[in-house]
Amino acid sequence: MDAINVAVIVKLEPDFSEGNVSYNPDGTLNRAETKNILGPHSAIAVNAAFYAKVKHGARISIGTMGPPVAESMLQYSQLISDADELYLYSDRIFAGADTLATAEVLKSGILKMQGKMDIVFSGHRASDGETGQTGPQTAWKLGMTFLGNVIDYEIDPESRTIRAKRLVRLQGIYDVVEEVEAPLPVFIAIDPSYKPKFNTVSQRLAYEKYQKEARHRAQDFKQYFKLFNAAQIEADPKLIGISGSPTIVYKVERIPKGKATRQAEIIDGSDQEQIRKIVAKMRQSLSTMVIK
Amino acid sequence: MEKYDVAIIGGGSAGLAALKRLSTLGKQAVLFEAGEKIGSKNISGGILYSKKPKKGKTHNVEDIYENFLTDKPYERRITKYVLHATSKDKVFSIDLTAAHEYEANFGCSVLMNKLNQWFLQQAQEAAEKQGGGIVSGVHVKDIRWEAGQTIVQTNELDEVAVKAIIAADGVNSEIAYMTGARQKFSPSQLYQGVKVVVKLPEGIMNERFSMGEDEGAAHLFAGDVTLDHIGGGFLYTNRDTLSVGAVYHLDSLLETPVEPYELVNALLRNPMVSDLIRDEVPVRGEIDKNLAKEEQMRIRFAVTKMIKTWTEMREAYHSKSERDRLVREGKYASPEEMEAQLSSIRDQMTTKYGMKFETDYVEAEYSAKLVPDGKRCRMERPYFKNILFSGDAAGRGIFVGPRIEGLNVGIDDAVRAADAVARALDKDNFDESYLGQYYSQSVGESPYTHDLKSIDKDYLKIFLDAAKDVPKDIINSKYGMVVKMMSSKTLRSFAVGFANILGYEKILPVIETVETYVKVPTELAERLGKSVSASYTPTIPSIAQRVAKLKFNDDSIPHIRVLKPTSEFMKKMTILCPTRCYLMEKNGVMIQHEGCVECGTCAEETEWSHPRGEKGINYQFG
Ligand SMILES: Cc1cc2nc3c(=O)[nH]c(=O)nc-3n(C[C@H](O)[C@H](O)[C@H](O)COP(=O)(O)OP(=O)(O)OC[C@H]3O[C@@H](n4cnc5c(N)ncnc54)[C@H](O)[C@@H]3O)c2cc1C
Ligand code: SF4
Repeated sequence: MDAINVAVIVKLEPDFSEGNVSYNPDGTLNRAETKNILGPHSAIAVNAAFYAKVKHGARISIGTMGPPVAESMLQYSQLISDADELYLYSDRIFAGADTLATAEVLKSGILKMQGKMDIVFSGHRASDGETGQTGPQTAWKLGMTFLGNVIDYEIDPESRTIRAKRLVRLQGIYDVVEEVEAPLPVFIAIDPSYKPKFNTVSQRLAYEKYQKEARHRAQDFKQYFKLFNAAQIEADPKLIGISGSPTIVYKVERIPKGKATRQAEIIDGSDQEQIRKIVAKMRQSLSTMVIK
Repeated sequence: MEKYDVAIIGGGSAGLAALKRLSTLGKQAVLFEAGEKIGSKNISGGILYSKKPKKGKTHNVEDIYENFLTDKPYERRITKYVLHATSKDKVFSIDLTAAHEYEANFGCSVLMNKLNQWFLQQAQEAAEKQGGGIVSGVHVKDIRWEAGQTIVQTNELDEVAVKAIIAADGVNSEIAYMTGARQKFSPSQLYQGVKVVVKLPEGIMNERFSMGEDEGAAHLFAGDVTLDHIGGGFLYTNRDTLSVGAVYHLDSLLETPVEPYELVNALLRNPMVSDLIRDEVPVRGEIDKNLAKEEQMRIRFAVTKMIKTWTEMREAYHSKSERDRLVREGKYASPEEMEAQLSSIRDQMTTKYGMKFETDYVEAEYSAKLVPDGKRCRMERPYFKNILFSGDAAGRGIFVGPRIEGLNVGIDDAVRAADAVARALDKDNFDESYLGQYYSQSVGESPYTHDLKSIDKDYLKIFLDAAKDVPKDIINSKYGMVVKMMSSKTLRSFAVGFANILGYEKILPVIETVETYVKVPTELAERLGKSVSASYTPTIPSIAQRVAKLKFNDDSIPHIRVLKPTSEFMKKMTILCPTRCYLMEKNGVMIQHEGCVECGTCAEETEWSHPRGEKGINYQFG
């Protein structure tokens, strides 16, 4: 049985946690002063990969496109996942990339990782102004089956298939959990609500073992780290950076406060009277509602 | 079902020692600990001893952990040990360093979170080599025997089958009640211990206690600080904190209930203690209410940040090792530069933000736990089927006068349990007659068991010599005869011999009384004590503030159920619960389990279990 290879694509993001954000006087984010960290959605993707390591001893490769400082984020990612390989795709010409151009870099990067990937994990989306497209686009470029909003998964290493639970949000109505089975390889965008569970003693012991190994590795992370530029990942120059980015961000606006259209009415009287009045009101408004 | 050779339940100092020993002997064992992290549920006073008894051999911490003396996971070696009798502002002190050093290789102060984390590293490494290890955040809820297998059931993981179990799950051992191996301990067999950890920068502490870097002091207190209860207070120096606490007989507390924290507060308010714990504390200035809201907020944040920076830097500056490290790593050019920066921050705090610096003390953590009185409650048969009980779970702790020892006793037990289990594994025989009885005999041979049963006349002599300045008439009224005999060279042997024939159980009611812990010390202090004064009155946090500072991971399922809401015992819990979890309602007492520190005080008349894995209290110091 071949070992399972998993990759994770992660993103460096401003640390939005309390006390760590710096603002400009006009209320916008001061990027230079705000610390950058592994994005919270990316962290969940890393955890999902770690689950495969604990359960099946999977090899983990983590890749990111970002500036040279993203190196420390990769070190942190290794600390929480005991990753075997860390890749930073960094090049000036990547600058100004939209999601599509980013996906091109990540695709090329993933293809340069050691071994053929059985699963590629990405976060649900980034928290600093991204639209959740990088994952699916990378999957599409890699020609991999895409599973989004995954909240749980189990690999069967024998048959090389995966069973995944997906949280499908039927907007405003209710959520359903869909269970799907797919042959490997697959690309998984992990849902923010994903939480790995380790239910047996042997898994918990493996968990501890890998955590400890991770602490050792992360201290010496350069040994696991590779820096690639555009030429090294053989990315098509037409498809990356500004030239590969069809998106034009016209303007980012703060969401204006909506005008309240509701009207408040204060009801008084004794408790009983109040309840009676409210019930009457509710009856009245229900009767005018159209129920299909 | 997964199978392992041995399960160890509880990752306190006893359980961890068992794991380390078994693993060193090449056996596979898995340790289950309910706390989120090892060390998060353990508290102690505490001084950890290593002993060299005249007769027999104890298994000491440094025998089990080869790196103990080089890695120094402890706080300080205790080199001075003093007992203080108190009455208001008067203190009479008796140096008991000789008693502390009696039959000891060393005694060092420890904080359980740090110490057990270090034990964990050592034990885990050894255990992994044998295919075992440690799983924390897992609460064992049941054990059953089925088809020749022993099955361990937890709240969190799938069941596992094992061949033998070492139960080191502490004083409130569910494994013990659940299997019926023993009854719950009764109040007359227990002490309640309550402690606060107080911050004090290392260098300042060294100066104040006139001690070097690896020296430490222990101070014990009796007299009016007991608020008329049987027990006493302690103050131990750690590296850059102090442990200040109180340990009292639970039945004495039940007789005349007093809030446990008031016992600690009484100690903190004693002028001698107040003065020992004092520090320089920044106090926020008023923020101008006329400023814009945002500006007020900005100032509040800035002040918080400054206090943090100043405190951390000051701690580092006053610690020689930290100071050296920061200079070595090039953060500062010299200690002088550090000092200059520190005072510049301080200046800014006062001039720019209108802060003041006052004398007060800084509390970091409040904690509480029951302590088994081994003289009265040690299990005569510390086993049940293929389960061996060790440490507090087996009710083993030596608390005799100023001797407070549970940690070392638990480690010694655990090693004996590990050895017995290893022997059983070799023969694949886990019958009570082969495993349990062998362990029981080994524990019986421990010098600690001997100390739990009888008075050591050499120890007594040291004690009496230290107290020779105590005027005889103070104690004469009640103990005249006894003291006379004990103090006399010729009669001591005879008196001790006679006392030992009677046995501790018979003579304890004479020794452990309000007379010895309260009246005699109070009178001593009044007649012979020196007046002590403190330059300030400590601002003692309320119990609500103390609880608010603790870290909890609340369990949605209550782990304690009140069975007799109107019983006298339960009514007293409204006072005796150290974190005030009990309220008096119309129909009797009600528990509000948020804030429960799992001390066990209310266990006697409740359905009591530890919270599920990772839940409940999470101590940072211990
Ligand atoms: C205030 C105070 C002062 C003291 N002073 C001293 C001193 O100066 N010197 C000294 O030697 N001793 C002292 N002691 C006693 C000493 O601290 C104890 O004897 C010692 O800590 C007991 O260790 P243990 O490993 O037996 O139990 P514990 O430390 O209580 O460990 C038991 C562990 O088992 C876990 N557990 C319980 N149930 C389960 C379950 N069902 N499943 C999984 N895990 C479970 C708990 O979470 C806990 O971590 C003092 C005690 C107190 C309270
Ligand atoms: S509720 Fe019981 S166990 Fe919890 S802190 Fe109070 S007395 Fe202790």
